[in-house]
Amino acid sequence: MDFPVELLANAIVAGLLLGGFYAAVTAGISIAFGILDIVNIAHPAFIILGSYIAYIVNANFGIDPILVSLIMLPAFYVLGGAVYQVYYASFERRGQEALRGLAFFFGLLFITEVGLVLVFGVDYRYVEAIYIGPTLRFSFIDLPLRMLIPCLVSLLMMLCLQLYLTRTFIGRAIMAVSQDQLALRLMAADPVRIKRIAFGISIATAAIAGAFLIVIQPVEPSVGREYIGRVFAICVLGGMGSLPGTVLAAILLGIVESITATFYGPSWAPAVSFGFLLLTLAFRPAGILGR
Amino acid sequence: MSGSSITVSGIHAAYGAVRALEDVSLEVKSGETVALLGTNGNGKSTLMKCIMGIVRPSAGSIFAEIDGRRHDLVGRSTEAIVDLGIALVPEGRRLFPKLTVEENLLLGAFRRIARAQIANNRAFCFEAFPQLAERRRQLAGSLSGGEQQMLALGRALMLAPRILLIDEPSVGLAPILVRRTIDKIQQLKEQYRLTVLMAEQNFTQAIRIADRGYVIVHGRIAFEGRSTEELNNNDLIRKFYLGL
Repeated sequence: MDFPVELLANAIVAGLLLGGFYAAVTAGISIAFGILDIVNIAHPAFIILGSYIAYIVNANFGIDPILVSLIMLPAFYVLGGAVYQVYYASFERRGQEALRGLAFFFGLLFITEVGLVLVFGVDYRYVEAIYIGPTLRFSFIDLPLRMLIPCLVSLLMMLCLQLYLTRTFIGRAIMAVSQDQLALRLMAADPVRIKRIAFGISIATAAIAGAFLIVIQPVEPSVGREYIGRVFAICVLGGMGSLPGTVLAAILLGIVESITATFYGPSWAPAVSFGFLLLTLAFRPAGILGR
Repeated sequence: MSGSSITVSGIHAAYGAVRALEDVSLEVKSGETVALLGTNGNGKSTLMKCIMGIVRPSAGSIFAEIDGRRHDLVGRSTEAIVDLGIALVPEGRRLFPKLTVEENLLLGAFRRIARAQIANNRAFCFEAFPQLAERRRQLAGSLSGGEQQMLALGRALMLAPRILLIDEPSVGLAPILVRRTIDKIQQLKEQYRLTVLMAEQNFTQAIRIADRGYVIVHGRIAFEGRSTEELNNNDLIRKFYLGL
C-alpha cells in the first residue's frame, strides 16, 4: 500500500491553519487564566457573542466580519473591564474567588447563552465574505482562504499581544500582577487597575476569535461549549501565561487533531488531543514554554 | 530643591487585638541614614508598613517632605505613597520570581518620573551590581539570596526615589554578604543623595553606616541615640544585643 503523502501533507497544513484559529480562541484564556489566575470559563460565551455581533452587522450592512470585530474591540475591552470590576468587588476582594468566582463565570456563560437563544433562536447563523468560498492550491496542497485568513490575522494578533506584554510598562505589570500584588504596589502600580486592563484585553480577543469562528463554521448559541475543554488544554499545554507557548500548543493540537480526523475519523480527535496533553504534562509539567 | 524627610508622630497600630506599635515617634531628616534597631517581633516592619500605607495606624500622623513639599501619608494608598518618591525594599525582598532580572528592574521604573531616567538608572544598577548585568536574562527566582537582595535594592533604585526604606537587608545572608550589602547601601545612598531609614537586627553592621538610630522594643521606642556613640554605649543595647 502506498503511503498517502498527499493526504498527510494536507492534514498537516489543515492542522496548522486550525491551530492558528485555536490560538486566537485561547489567547483570552491564556491572559485571564494563565496570567491573572482568573478561571474565566465564560470566555467561549464572549466568543459566541463576538460571532453574533459579526453576524448582525454582516447581515445588515454587509461589512466584513473580521473588520467588524476590529471595530468592536473597544466595546469588548470596556465590557471585559466591567466584568472584572464586578468580579473583583464581589469575590476577589473578599478572597472568595476560588469557588464562587467559578460559579460567577459559569452563570455568565449560561446567561449569555440563554440571552442569545432568546434573541436569535437556536438556528445556525453564518456570514458572507469574499474569502469564504475560494481555495488556494499549491500543487497538491489546499489552502482554503476561509481558514488561512483567520490563521494569519490570529498570528498577527498574538504577535501584537506578545509585544505589548513584554515591551510596555503596563504589559510587564500584567505579567507580574499574579506573582506578588503587594510588590507591584511598591512599584507604584495599582494591581486592580492592571488586572482590569488585562481582563479587558482578554475579552477583546474574544471579539476577534468570534469573527473567526463564524467565518470558519456556522454558529449557534451553544457551540462555544465545544471549545471550553480544548481552550484550557491548549493554555496548560503551552505553559501558563506564555503566549508563544499558546501559539505552539494550539498549532500542535491543531495538527494532531487534523491528522487523527483524516486517518481515523473525527470522533477520535478529542481523545487523541487530550491524550497528547496528558503525555506532554507527564514529561514537561510546566507546559511547552512554561517558566 | 530642598530636602526629603519623614516625620512619624505618636502612631499606634494593631493587628486585630494584638498591639504592634504604641505611641511611636521618629524622624528621619534629609540626607540622614537612620537605623531602626530591634529584634524580631518588636514592630520594625509594622512601622515600615505604616509609612508605606500597607498598615493603617489607628492614631498618630505621618508626614513626608519630598523635595521641599510636605505630604500627609496617612490614608494614602501604597501606590500613591511610592509615587511621591518613597521606596521600600520589603522584608523577604518580594521579587517577581517568574520574571527575569531585567524585567524586575524595568518594573521598578513603572513610575512616570522614573521612566524618563530608565537608561541612566539601569546603567547605574548594573555598574553597582555587576552580577545582575551578567544574569539579566535569568529568572529572579533562580538567583541566590545575596543576588536577590541586590536585585531588590536595584529595583527600588529604578524607582528614582528620594527616600528609601529598607526592611532587614541582612536577613538570610552570610556574614560576608551582610557586610557587603550594608556597604553597598551606604555607597548608593551617597550617589543618589537619598534619605534612608533601615530596619535591622544586626546592630554592629547597621551602626557602621547609620548617622543615628532608634531602638524599638515591644512596639515602643525604647531608646533614641543621637549618634552612633550614644547607641554603642547604651545599656539597653549592651544588654539586648551585645550580651555585655
